[in-house]
Amino acid sequence: MISVLILAGELDELLEMRAVADQIGASVVEALIPEAVIDGESLASLGLKRAYLLEGFDEIPPEGLEKIVIDLVRNSEPGLVIGPSKKIYRELFARTAQNLSSPCLTDCTNLEFNDGRLVVERPFLGGGYVERVAIKKFPALLTIQLTGRRPQAREGGSFETVRVSRPSIENLRLRRVSVEKIERKGADLSKARVVVSVGRGFKRREDLKMAEDLAQLLGAELACSRPIASDLGWMPEEKHVGLSGKWISPQLYIAIGISGQVQHMVGVRNSRIIVAVNNDTSAPIHREADYSVPIDLYQFIPALIKVLKEKGARAA
Amino acid sequence: MPVIHVFVKQVPDISTLEYDPSTLAPRLEKATLRLGEADLVALEAALRIKEGWGGEVVVLSAGDAVNELVLREALAMGADRCFYVSDPRLSMADAWVTANVLSRLSKKAGGADILFCGEASSDAGNYQLGPRLSEAMGIPCITHAVSVELSGNIVRVRRSLEDRTETLESELPLIITASLELASPRLPSLLMIRAASKKPITRVDLSELGLERDLVEPLVERLSVRALKTARRNIVLEGDPLECAERLVESLVREGVLRV
Ligand SMILES: Cc1cc2nc3c(=O)[nH]c(=O)nc-3n(C[C@H](O)[C@H](O)[C@H](O)COP(=O)(O)OP(=O)(O)OC[C@H]3O[C@@H](n4cnc5c(N)ncnc54)[C@H](O)[C@@H]3O)c2cc1C
Ligand SMILES: Nc1ncnc2c1ncn2[C@@H]1O[C@H](COP(=O)(O)O)[C@@H](O)[C@H]1O
Repeated sequence: MISVLILAGELDELLEMRAVADQIGASVVEALIPEAVIDGESLASLGLKRAYLLEGFDEIPPEGLEKIVIDLVRNSEPGLVIGPSKKIYRELFARTAQNLSSPCLTDCTNLEFNDGRLVVERPFLGGGYVERVAIKKFPALLTIQLTGRRPQAREGGSFETVRVSRPSIENLRLRRVSVEKIERKGADLSKARVVVSVGRGFKRREDLKMAEDLAQLLGAELACSRPIASDLGWMPEEKHVGLSGKWISPQLYIAIGISGQVQHMVGVRNSRIIVAVNNDTSAPIHREADYSVPIDLYQFIPALIKVLKEKGARAA
Repeated sequence: MPVIHVFVKQVPDISTLEYDPSTLAPRLEKATLRLGEADLVALEAALRIKEGWGGEVVVLSAGDAVNELVLREALAMGADRCFYVSDPRLSMADAWVTANVLSRLSKKAGGADILFCGEASSDAGNYQLGPRLSEAMGIPCITHAVSVELSGNIVRVRRSLEDRTETLESELPLIITASLELASPRLPSLLMIRAASKKPITRVDLSELGLERDLVEPLVERLSVRALKTARRNIVLEGDPLECAERLVESLVREGVLRV
């Protein structure tokens, strides 16, 4: 039996971390969460022993969060500290682990006890491979790849809440000059049944309109490859799927102008049906598609839109 | 003039890597070796600072069987010198051991004003070295940099997170991890490749780093690596776009993912 300390910034993340704790049969579960983001009722049904509420989670630099996590680890001695695989948590967990002489594993996709050892699965070599890793020392800090897990149903119960005050950090060496929030658009990709995804095969930003039209007709969400978000800035970063982005499993994934490198495919491999529109027949995506369309997207997408309109087809 | 250390890791080239179909294990012994993608981006960013401000770019690497020819690629791009540790005991190195070895190697190499690494290595993808070095060396770290500007003793870095972009400032010394978008690594010219053969590469013995035993003891153990195989139907729709679109829609309706 192992006790778990969860870090989460949003309700969905908290639910998913709770599901991971369920999966390994955690004995005691505590959570550090932002104040006022998650309501008491949702919290009560999670079977937590204690919730630590922290104000201004987002504004606290990693060094400050690190102090808090180290204090919590010293006080309640969890076997595991888990949090979602996002940049802030990976950084926080890595530096905290170094401070505690502890192991840290990122992007874990599965955890299980095997002959009394905790064994973790995580992507390796760009995501085309999985490595199985045994943890030799506790506490261990793990970031978990978000894939939409849900915890077991529980009766509402009581738990203790503890307000954690913001740490005072003397001589902070990093100054935050400015912050630009990225506006959230559309629904959560991980819940979409149909996803239309765009890659560098699109020549101009305006051309994405075609994909938007297609998505709208199908009642689908729009996603993209990493360069479309990070290099070109045509879509928000939270819409990129793959190794360093979201991992999704829709019923239908339509990849348009995407080459299908392993780092992209690892994020969509659990889709039920994959359609690839790419005019290069040698693009790797054609080997990982159920329906391969080796046609110029500028010809095929308008044709597809026309057919869908004529038939009045949409997501089932 | 800044001294810049860049950490580069020798990794298998994923695009040509094959696996054994019966065990699904990667054929690492046959793999072509290269430097990590994000590592090369970090090196490019370092070289640009050197071009603007002078100073020196030193590359550092650790592994269980480091090939000097692979490190020469970094020198060919324009790095001045290289220090590395190659020791079979590092074959099981995890992020903890790697950070301990490289922090000592950086000190051994004389220390630096700016320390660059990739946001994630191309094989393990831990995202850990920068933050761990920060703890081990007591130097602040900014992760996921998409732009870096130096002016005097101050570095200004833009970083991009899932839900926001931030601009941060720090005095030197500073550790920076490079996002893939920070810079496009240059291709070395023939002239640069030739010049690289004369640049100094220093092999440092693991024992020279004076690491206590627990600092080189891995905290996790890799049990296995296997390829992920997915069976897809690979139905090809070729020819007239309109006809193909019709066939696709019909198929997707039959599959039950679309309805008319
Ligand atoms: C550590 C690491 C992490 C990464 N993480 C991710 C990740 O999470 N997600 C991700 O997506 N990538 C990731 N990448 C990048 C990945 O390796 C690829 O570079 C990226 O996915 C390529 O994006 P793309 O397919 O849009 O562009 P490209 O590879 O440039 O492909 C564009 C495709 O469009 C096709 N095309 C061009 N014109 C047309 C046309 N008119 N009609 C139809 N098709 C056309 C081309 O044939 C080509 O195949 C990562 C890389 C690294 C090293
Ligand atoms: N063995 C190594 N030798 C040199 N640099 C390394 C090594 N391992 C990791 N790095 C650097 O640290 C970055 C992040 O690696 P990782 O923490 O493994 O994801 C890489 O992009 C490299 O720049």
